[in-house]
Amino acid sequence: MTLAIAVAVLAAVGTYLIVRGGAVRLILGFILLGHAANLIIIAAGGTFRREAPLVDGGVVLETMADPLPQAFVLTAIVITFGVTVYLLSLVARTAKRSARNAGEGGAHD
Amino acid sequence: MLVASLALIGLTTAVVPLVVRYLGRYTGYPLAVIFLVAAGLLLTQAPEVMRGETVVQSWQWVAAFDVQFTLRLNGLSLLFAMLVLGVGALVLSYAPQYLDPHYEVRRLYTVLTLFAAAMLGIVLAGDLVLLLVFWEITSVSSFLLVAGAGTAGARPAIRALVVTGFGGLALFGAVVLLAVKTQTTDIATVFALAPERLSVTDLSIVAALIILAAFTKSAQLPFHFWLPGAMVAVTPVSAYLHAATLVKAGIYLLLLMSPLFLDFPAWNITLLVFGLATALFGAFEALRQRDLKALLAYSTVSQLGTMVALVGVGTSAALAAAALLVVAHALFKATLFMLVGIVDREAGSRDLDELSGLWRVMPITAGLTGLAAMSMAGVPPLVGFVAKEEAFYSFLDVPQSSWAQGQQWAGIAAAVIAVLAASLTFAYSARIFAGAFFGPLKQRNLYEPSWLFLAPAVVPAVAGLVLGIAPGLLNSIIDRTTVDVGFTMVGSDLSLWHGVSIALGLSAIAISLGLLLHFRRRWVIRWLGEEPPVASGPLIFDRIWFALVRTGSWVGRSAHSASVGVHLFGVGVLIVALTILGFAIIPGATDGLAPVIPDSMQLVDVAILALLVPTVAFLARARTTITALVLAGFVGLILSVWLLLLGAPDVALTLLLVEFLTVVVAAPVLARLPRHRDVGRPTMAAVAAVVVGVSSGLAVWAFTGRRGPSELSAYFLTEAEELTGGTNVVNTILVDFRGLDTLGEITVLFAAALGLLAATAVGVRARKDAVIEVLGRGEQTVLRVGARIVIPLLLIATVVLFWRGHDEPGGGFIAGLTAGSAVAVAMIAGIRIALPSSGAMLAAGLGTALVSALIGPLTGGAVLAPVKVDVPIVGSLTSSLIFDLGVLLIVVGLVRVALERLDGMHIDAGNDTDDGNDTDDGNDLEWDGQDRSSAVDVTEARS
Repeated sequence: MTLAIAVAVLAAVGTYLIVRGGAVRLILGFILLGHAANLIIIAAGGTFRREAPLVDGGVVLETMADPLPQAFVLTAIVITFGVTVYLLSLVARTAKRSARNAGEGGAHD
Repeated sequence: MLVASLALIGLTTAVVPLVVRYLGRYTGYPLAVIFLVAAGLLLTQAPEVMRGETVVQSWQWVAAFDVQFTLRLNGLSLLFAMLVLGVGALVLSYAPQYLDPHYEVRRLYTVLTLFAAAMLGIVLAGDLVLLLVFWEITSVSSFLLVAGAGTAGARPAIRALVVTGFGGLALFGAVVLLAVKTQTTDIATVFALAPERLSVTDLSIVAALIILAAFTKSAQLPFHFWLPGAMVAVTPVSAYLHAATLVKAGIYLLLLMSPLFLDFPAWNITLLVFGLATALFGAFEALRQRDLKALLAYSTVSQLGTMVALVGVGTSAALAAAALLVVAHALFKATLFMLVGIVDREAGSRDLDELSGLWRVMPITAGLTGLAAMSMAGVPPLVGFVAKEEAFYSFLDVPQSSWAQGQQWAGIAAAVIAVLAASLTFAYSARIFAGAFFGPLKQRNLYEPSWLFLAPAVVPAVAGLVLGIAPGLLNSIIDRTTVDVGFTMVGSDLSLWHGVSIALGLSAIAISLGLLLHFRRRWVIRWLGEEPPVASGPLIFDRIWFALVRTGSWVGRSAHSASVGVHLFGVGVLIVALTILGFAIIPGATDGLAPVIPDSMQLVDVAILALLVPTVAFLARARTTITALVLAGFVGLILSVWLLLLGAPDVALTLLLVEFLTVVVAAPVLARLPRHRDVGRPTMAAVAAVVVGVSSGLAVWAFTGRRGPSELSAYFLTEAEELTGGTNVVNTILVDFRGLDTLGEITVLFAAALGLLAATAVGVRARKDAVIEVLGRGEQTVLRVGARIVIPLLLIATVVLFWRGHDEPGGGFIAGLTAGSAVAVAMIAGIRIALPSSGAMLAAGLGTALVSALIGPLTGGAVLAPVKVDVPIVGSLTSSLIFDLGVLLIVVGLVRVALERLDGMHIDAGNDTDDGNDTDDGNDLEWDGQDRSSAVDVTEARS
């Protein structure tokens, strides 16, 4: 239930930011949607077992969290970072061009 | 010897570019010698073949599909192989004299040799898959050679490729069907099993597909048009590919597959009807042409039609006649092409209206042309005459075949059409000779070409004469061929003189009619019209082609919008539709939900939520970029804590580090961005947000937390230590169990870093205004000192986290992010660390991961399988540690690229001096098309 609410809030605000438009909102919205998606995957593994899946002291299936969604989310977070960084570069590039165009236009004022 | 011969030509292909560097256009000579050696290698097996044996060599190739690399030599393949290598040797020794000294010979010789290898492969292939592969290579090499003619060759090359590629697909279909039905791809076995395994329907489909493949390759109606177009290629290519060999591949396929259709009348009727129609059509068109090469091209279309029709007749005599015609045609057509090339070079034209009286200055060329043209025209005592006689016999014998069932009219009709085609053939053959060599001499200062130039044409011309006088030389190979195509040995008795017979009478009629047509050619042309009566093939092809291209761009147009909504709309509709569909068709979908497992929600979760929701809400309403960025970082922090509480320390650590790095990387970029006016309609955005939020929340509530531990989860938890030696199950999943997945993911990171490098290639410069420079002296000192303490700690943490990752929280991703954080701190504080370039780091990372993936196979295991080594003192090490090192390097590389490149991008318009070489106009993405207008109010959010 808590995870569902968290996902709902993150997805809603993420969508809101992206739809409102603008580069900053787009990137922040993208990050929030990424969080929502990762929480969904964690939720799929179930949250009734909350012990870290470290099997050094013996395996306790009843209490250990599902490791597979964790592995998925771990790489997903890093990939989200990679994509965010790429988005940033595109945004910066576009903004730079528009800024220069505006600057050139302003030189005649 | 089969494989030696094929390998010799194949390997030569690889060496040709090197040889061309030294020998230039004279590379043709050594190549010709190699072709002859390859032919010799095959001939060492000829005695066995002639004794009736089939030489087979086979190796395991694709074990999973039980496909063998089987080469097979029987009479049929020997006959075609000799043509491929023999004509190849002639053409290659002709090319050096023909080619312009400045011609791009490297490509020509390389592709020609490649083609020869593929063609040899087709005729030697004993496996359907092998046949298909070589078949496709010939199509591609034909395309490359035609396209080599420059812009004039572009459209014809595309037409040739599309038409023959279409045929290749048809052949693929036939091969798949045969392989599925007979459970093998070995040609001999397929033939043995086909009668019992294939239904009449299967056989009809196979027949249709094979006919399509053969008709496209051998330029039969209605696919003939690509062949005349292909004449833009240089003459050696026309002589070799588009007269003697490539176009015969279709005939070879029909002959090869004939045994499947011994009792299948539709096969015979289709081939006979289309073959004769093509023979007649091609002959008429040839008579209309003025350009000698175009004339020869249509003549080839016509002759191929006769061969197809003969295969269609389906009697042993007809198939023998087809094989004989293949030989005769290769000899006279190769000669004619080479001689036309010589005339073209010497007289500077191949237009029959411009050439005249050349025999006075080039008597030997004239004589050779006459010899070859007579063979083509079917005049005794040349081999073309013998082949034509055999063809007439075969057509007359149609009623005796198993499928025609005594229908006398069929034989008469076939023979009449054949005679008409033969008389037209005589007419255009006569025209070539008379048109170019008789009449008044217009160009007096011409001379006979050097004997080196002529010699390659002399050989096939004289061979046509010898085989015409003594056709018995071919008896044994033709006999063997008829056996190979499904008949018992009949004992051919080829001879020049059969006594007075119907065939002789038909020959006489054809020649007399041909003479009449030649002298009254203008009547024929007037009757035919100067232009083809129907819309020409290339025109129809181009119409279909461009219609397809337009349809494609129409379909793709919807994806070209810059509006986010357009892209999301389709996805949204699809999701809704799938949901409805799912409820409709999945049994039990409406039965209600299973109860939520107790303990799924705990008090601490509520506390987290109480922090998270207001933070996110503030983020939605944040006024400045920096506020929003800080709040976003705070969201990440809250989620990290939550993940830690949920039992995911690895994920929590990763998220924490990524949040830090995202803020560091994004802050300088976003802070410099001009603030955007609110562009989207807030109501629309709010509605979309509520829909997405509510539905995803409901989905998570409904679909998760209602099921016990999965089997997979139990498997990983119980087996991880035993199988991988690691106790941190998440890490073992990343580097051991799902290593291939991780390899894919780091490749994505690698690609993202490359994209970043490419996107920021312009206008990069080192950061000059490091954060520290805007701080006061005291603050600077604090930051510098702090950084000097933090960086070593982070680097130690990197080593520890990496080393213990397999057993405790840590691993390549986390260690990489930690090291990246150290680099980020150094950058903020303006401290320089000497490191190899980030590009080198990325490459080293991917390389390390790939090399570690190969350790498994090298030690006899699977790709990425962990290999354990016991090292004294350190303990046991596994190869997955090396893989994880690759992961680490890639992550550090990505972080560094992000830090270095994004930091260096300056957005200010005024002092923008570093991008004088920024020339990529129109390449930028437009964000909703709104950024450009919003750039007017350049306000730095930082101020």
